[in-house]
Amino acid sequence: MPKLGCLGWGIIGTLVFVILAVLSMLLFPVPQPEVHLEAETIFGLPFFTNTLFASLLTILVLVVIFFTATRNMKLVPGRWQNVVEWVMEWFLNFCEEAAGRENGRRFFPVVATIFLYVIGAALISLIPGFEVFGYGHAAPPEGVPGAFVGTYHGFIVDVPILKKANTDINFPLALALISFIFVEFMGIRSLGFFRYISRFFSVSELFKGIGELFRGRIRAGLGGIFTGIIEIFVGIIETISEFIRIVSLTFRLFGNMTAGMILLLIICFLVPWVVGVPFYGLEALFGFVQALIFGGLTLVFATIAVTPRAMEE
Amino acid sequence: MLLGISWQALLSQIVCFGILLALLVMFAYRPIMRMLDERSNRIKDSMDKAEEIKQEAARAGVMVKEQLDSARKDGQSIVAQAEQLGERLREEAREEAKKEGEAILARAQAEIGRERDEAIDRLRAEFVDLSLMAAEKVIKESLDREKHMRLIEEVLEESGGLRKE
Repeated sequence: MPKLGCLGWGIIGTLVFVILAVLSMLLFPVPQPEVHLEAETIFGLPFFTNTLFASLLTILVLVVIFFTATRNMKLVPGRWQNVVEWVMEWFLNFCEEAAGRENGRRFFPVVATIFLYVIGAALISLIPGFEVFGYGHAAPPEGVPGAFVGTYHGFIVDVPILKKANTDINFPLALALISFIFVEFMGIRSLGFFRYISRFFSVSELFKGIGELFRGRIRAGLGGIFTGIIEIFVGIIETISEFIRIVSLTFRLFGNMTAGMILLLIICFLVPWVVGVPFYGLEALFGFVQALIFGGLTLVFATIAVTPRAMEE
Repeated sequence: MLLGISWQALLSQIVCFGILLALLVMFAYRPIMRMLDERSNRIKDSMDKAEEIKQEAARAGVMVKEQLDSARKDGQSIVAQAEQLGERLREEAREEAKKEGEAILARAQAEIGRERDEAIDRLRAEFVDLSLMAAEKVIKESLDREKHMRLIEEVLEESGGLRKE
């Protein structure tokens, strides 16, 4: 028997997957999944969406985890305290390595909260049954169309009570805005308002050039004006990039998490058996990575913001 | 609205974040950071202390070695003194024994001398008795010179034990 290469295994895997998908479609017909990007309000309350409910649940879980770990702290930690401390110490070291000891400790609370909030919301949504309960309607008596053999009778959930918080655009956008405000605040606080703002509106070179021109030094004046124009241009680019960060942070998280949710949904509807399990593991990893990226970028932006220009170069 | 962005949801998420931040600062960051700092301080202190103890131990070791050295030296000198003393005592003992021996010898010699004198005295007395006995006989029997000699001889023969004197 010839040895199978990567391609061979890939073809076999795809074939098995297709066979399983067809089998499950024939034997267990279910209604086609519908993807809603917008969060739905639940409990008949205005503005209380299922993603907000999931966010509150995430907050509750995180607070309970930390409260139980730090309620009765000892110098020689127990197991639970040790685990939580290990995670916090790891993240604190991460901050201190990226931003330096002093700044790292200053940024740590906000950055760690972003990290924990994102990873908490991502991981909690992977618990089986998370998006199962909710408002819906009974399936029509004639069953779901599209199945060859069986029919589906049962309850179809239209509005789940809990929905992955990261997939609501408001969640990443809120975090991105907080990250943006935090970065600007830190920059202004450590450098002073005018010094920080001069990064974006730098006209000193231009005025210097004009002054040189009036003094009759044409060459130096023109050179100064040229540099001044470039500086203004750079300032405009810096300003735009500062605001672009909000968009990029938002859509990086939103896109990744939404894609993950849709992937899991599709896989589970195609083959409702063990095939979905590795994808759950993958999604857990993505949740961790996205949380780390969001927190890490905030950390890096804040570090850049508090670094004076001269040191940067 | 676009993708479901709404200011109410945005605001509620920001408020959620604020609540989470406040709670975590209270329950997680502050106590854990305090604990981490305290523990690292404690570890640093104990390591400093351990270093101190190590140095102290090294010092103590040197001290013990010095003391041992001096003790050994003392011991050696004591042993030497003891040896000297022993030598002297032995010498004295030997001297004394010699003296005593001489004294005993002298006493024995004196004894022997005394006993000899006594023996001589006793012999003389005996001899006088014999002579008297002999004289009695001579007087009784009136002998000539040859007879006389024989008589003495006889007497001497009779008192056989004194022959050697």
